[in-house]
Amino acid sequence: MKKKKRPSPPKKTGGPTTVQRSGNPAKKTGRAATGKRSGIRKKNVLITGVTGTIGSRLAEALYYDKNVGIIIGAARGAKPYYFNQFDTKRFIYKDMNILKSRGLTNLFLTTDFKEADINTVVHLAFFNRVSRSKQKESFHRLNVEGTNNLLDKCIESGSVSKFIFKSSDVVYKIRPHNPVYLDENADLNFDTDVDQWVKDRVDADMICQSKMDSKGINIVILRFSNIIGRMGSGQLNAYFDSPLVFRAMGFNPLINLIHMEDVVFAIQSAIHKNVKGIFNIAGADTAPISTFSEINRSRMYSLPEPLLGPVNTVMRKLGMTRYYYSVDADRLKYSVLLDTRKVTKMLDFKPRSRKYSVQRPGPGR
Amino acid sequence: MNQQGRKWARTVARTLAPEEYVRFQELKINDLGFGYDPFGLEIESAVAALSVAKQIYKYWFRVESHGVENVPLEGAVMITPNHSGALPLDAVMVGVDLAVKMKKPRIMRAVVDNFAGFLPFVNTLFYRCGQIIGARRNFEELLKWGEMVGVFPEGDKGTGKPFKDRYKMIPFNVGFMELSLLYRAPIVPTAVIGAEEQYPYMFNVKPLANLFNLPYFPLTPLTLLLGPLGVLPLPTRYSIYYGEALHLYREYPPETVKDPETIRKLVGLVQDRVQSLIDEGLRRRRGKVFGFSLKDLLPGKTEPKIPAAPSKQIMERIGS
Repeated sequence: MKKKKRPSPPKKTGGPTTVQRSGNPAKKTGRAATGKRSGIRKKNVLITGVTGTIGSRLAEALYYDKNVGIIIGAARGAKPYYFNQFDTKRFIYKDMNILKSRGLTNLFLTTDFKEADINTVVHLAFFNRVSRSKQKESFHRLNVEGTNNLLDKCIESGSVSKFIFKSSDVVYKIRPHNPVYLDENADLNFDTDVDQWVKDRVDADMICQSKMDSKGINIVILRFSNIIGRMGSGQLNAYFDSPLVFRAMGFNPLINLIHMEDVVFAIQSAIHKNVKGIFNIAGADTAPISTFSEINRSRMYSLPEPLLGPVNTVMRKLGMTRYYYSVDADRLKYSVLLDTRKVTKMLDFKPRSRKYSVQRPGPGR
Repeated sequence: MNQQGRKWARTVARTLAPEEYVRFQELKINDLGFGYDPFGLEIESAVAALSVAKQIYKYWFRVESHGVENVPLEGAVMITPNHSGALPLDAVMVGVDLAVKMKKPRIMRAVVDNFAGFLPFVNTLFYRCGQIIGARRNFEELLKWGEMVGVFPEGDKGTGKPFKDRYKMIPFNVGFMELSLLYRAPIVPTAVIGAEEQYPYMFNVKPLANLFNLPYFPLTPLTLLLGPLGVLPLPTRYSIYYGEALHLYREYPPETVKDPETIRKLVGLVQDRVQSLIDEGLRRRRGKVFGFSLKDLLPGKTEPKIPAAPSKQIMERIGS
């Protein structure tokens, strides 16, 4: 099992520098501890799925963000060791299952939650693709019902003014005659024969959309392109991690990769900006899938499309890949690029990482 | 294409069309950072494909063209030819002609029917050479970037016309006119003579068309006589006529798109101009039916003589 990269510990001399400069709210009492300061209201954030790769990085980024007060990180299981470095008055870890309505109600009623004056919820808890059918059912419940339960509680609470849901571009219907840049109003994938994980993504996205007009809460859906980064659990991350990669013969679609750092940065922007709605977020690197494979030094082979599924199954059985072809069958044939004009304009987001263009192939363009 | 592939593509282009290869160095694309534009156009692939197509242009169809000076050298512009010939070779020939003959070479971004996107290899080839699948949004993006877009307003029905209906255009679609007014893009009416006889199309074999996910599967006498060799188009001589660019947006503001009657009239005007160019081209064509004589097939007779006068006469006629 691979060891996760953990957030680097803050300096021992009195906590993080950024917090020190603005005054560490955890060292103060009352007003400062709840993140309220005269004139500026700090964001107090609940993060679900905080133990995931993005969750832990987001927690770290927010911990060092001077405009964020208290962070409650929720996930299932005991508190991981890498959160021990954070000041417990500023970062509170909660072991909870968002599927259980009682547990969720209790969380919203806890003293910690009330005192923290949580006003922003970032919902990251979402299971990745699984193979075993028994797990599929419980994961579907977490992915879809869990999102619904949490959003309902946030609306009921009256104190949460922003709900951010991390979605993905897999919700879009992929066709060769799509516009080159898909905007936020592009058709969603309601096909019945798609993978259950894609259905869960679409369902959860739709649940958030259906409650978009709820009073007193701004719901933000962030649809990211293919997230890539160390220890990332995204589909294409798993694809490029494989020793052998296969693509559909006769197709070589353009893909966009977004780095984990940019994902965290985009969520941070969404926390601070006064926005609501759906936003497509893409990274800086766009190229055919074969180009990324070459940069990654993967061995890529083209196979007739009907063989891709069986080959992928065999590779998974042999432990050679974590990638699920069924999720991305169309993505290996047709390009999916996101129209990011809205996010650029409203969230002032521009991708910062350009990890791949450093090794740009081809003659000096 | 990897670096090795690009190297090969440049070698192919330099070998097959050395003069054009130098000219094509001027071509610019909206590079996203890896040598591809958002539609997947890659300059090396496009130049290699143009060089190969140039051989077909020169030796098989012996293309001659008139009025290329009517095509603007920069900015958004629409080329609107008639469409025919089962396979869209007319689009390829117009694209090559513009790249070869224009003072400053430009890549024509032809709007391709949706079905092409589903076809393996064809899909990738089209994208790498700059062709786009016909979503309106894609068309708009290209005009915003100031590209030269090839639109075939007859659509795929044009290429599926039976032989008896050659040079009889079917009503044009109207979408291109709306975009021309919205994005202030001039329209260059264009006539392609010769493509309509390259496949004397008799029947549409629908089961085969469905099997290959194509709009039609043409059956020609040559496929019956020659089998797979019958797939080759007849070496008809192509003549391409570019009419004077129509700047209709100068007289009709963008709000005109809300008036379908006026739009239909404007589309009719463009269609009339294309038809006039076709009529004039047919009148001037040397052959009676297929546009070629045995002399044309002899070596040394392949270079077309491009008369200067006819294009002027045509322009005057169309202008009036």
